[in-house]
Amino acid sequence: MSERSVPIRVLIAKPGLDGHDRGAKVLARGLRDEGFEVIYTGIRRSTEAIIAAAIEEDVDVVGLSILSGAHATLLPKVVAGLRAAGANDVLVVAGGIIPEEDRPGLAAAGITAVFGPGSTIGEIATHLRAHARRR
Amino acid sequence: MHDGADAVAAADAVTPSDGPSSSGERFDARRLAQAISAVERGGSEADALIAAALARLAAGASASQRVVGVTGAPGAGKSSLIAALSDVARAAGRRVAILAVDPSSAITGGALLGDRVRIDERPDDPGRFMRSIATRGSGRALSHTAAAASLLVEAEGFDLIFIETVGAGQADLGIARLADLVLLVEGPEGGDEVQAMKAGLLESAQLIVVNKSDRPGADRAAERLRSGLSLAAAAPPVLLASAAESRGIAELLAAIDAAAAARAADTSAPPAGRLRRVAAHLVAAAEARLASRLEGAESSGALAALAAAIAAGERPLEGAIDDLLGPGR
Ligand SMILES: Nc1nc2c(ncn2[C@@H]2O[C@H](COP(=O)(O)OP(=O)(O)OP(=O)(O)O)[C@@H](O)[C@H]2O)c(=O)[nH]1
Ligand SMILES: [Mg+2]
Repeated sequence: MSERSVPIRVLIAKPGLDGHDRGAKVLARGLRDEGFEVIYTGIRRSTEAIIAAAIEEDVDVVGLSILSGAHATLLPKVVAGLRAAGANDVLVVAGGIIPEEDRPGLAAAGITAVFGPGSTIGEIATHLRAHARRR
Repeated sequence: MHDGADAVAAADAVTPSDGPSSSGERFDARRLAQAISAVERGGSEADALIAAALARLAAGASASQRVVGVTGAPGAGKSSLIAALSDVARAAGRRVAILAVDPSSAITGGALLGDRVRIDERPDDPGRFMRSIATRGSGRALSHTAAAASLLVEAEGFDLIFIETVGAGQADLGIARLADLVLLVEGPEGGDEVQAMKAGLLESAQLIVVNKSDRPGADRAAERLRSGLSLAAAAPPVLLASAAESRGIAELLAAIDAAAAARAADTSAPPAGRLRRVAAHLVAAAEARLASRLEGAESSGALAALAAAIAAGERPLEGAIDDLLGPGR
């Protein structure tokens, strides 16, 4: 078989304990319509489960949706876990309600972008296309 | 041809192989995940990986490995049942892998792969592996890469491999080509069984389960399926189960093992065992090449030119296909 160009693979996960996933589902469908392969994992996933899923699915991007306010600890844990597993080139972005003052810390932890409630799917898709690894 | 003999020898042996894969190396989920991606991309790296998997399998595969195709209408409970079956199999020390196939959009190429929602993550259990696969332009319910991905997983020594595909009618019969056994999942709602009959899915299943037995109507649905199948030469067993309440799951797994063993011993349906996956991969690769040739002819204008020449009577229809597909062989 000759080599084919492949869609960008994105894992959408909701770490933490809050049970609302409407935003995450809208994002998952929106990115599918933008031509991404979206793996949706559902709510209340542990960071360990998210890391393992990202490895098994060999995704290019992990998108973490979070509303619970636990972002400051959970999000850096996912990045660190991915790096420890050898997934150094996986882009990690976050979405949800994250206060402005927390963003520099997340950026320093390796979260390349934070998309607030006003972000459009198009904006997110553009960021992922620009920054996801190429293969 | 050693595979057929293995399959017969395996007829009643289900040996758990908790621990290292057949090669004796430690299982590395990331390496397998990246290999599946490479096979999805295709090209010479894919061919090399498949060849390496076949070499590992030839060197010492467990004869009790099973590849179970799980099909049925959207929402029937395929993923939930696979999750429940996996727990029972893991408790018996069998290593379990799941390949869940969902369609890609023909227009955008995107896909929403949501089967993990129903399947609890066990991040600390190396005896489980799950991968979601998009069909990527194969134009079917089954991805072009499912057979190859299955071979890679088999080479890692997994004992039980589930391949979930949406039951989309005739287009879905590809799963019957590569799996050792097809399990059809039905719901309790009246009329579903007629859908399955219409879609030609009943004929390709060796085992049928009516899921959601916790809901009313499941017994009747099973009865109707049994009577609908009673005229068939080899009517598949119809079982009842509830993934939600974990009922009938151990019985279903036992039925899967029995049906797979019976099929492995049946020499009238070659190719047997793993050779099915190799043959299915060859078919898929040939189909992919055909599709890309046709796409090429379309985008280069060769197809339009050929059509115009035929329509104008400048060329005979005969031989036109050879022109389209390149030199005959
Ligand atoms: N009552 C009941 N509901 C169930 C059972 N098994 C699954 N469900 C529900 O049925 C719905 C679909 O289940 P899935 O396991 O996702 O079904 P599926 O066939 O994999 O669906 P697709 O992959 O989308 O085609 C979910 O809401 C499940 O909770 C069951 O045994 N009883
Ligand atoms: Mg499913």
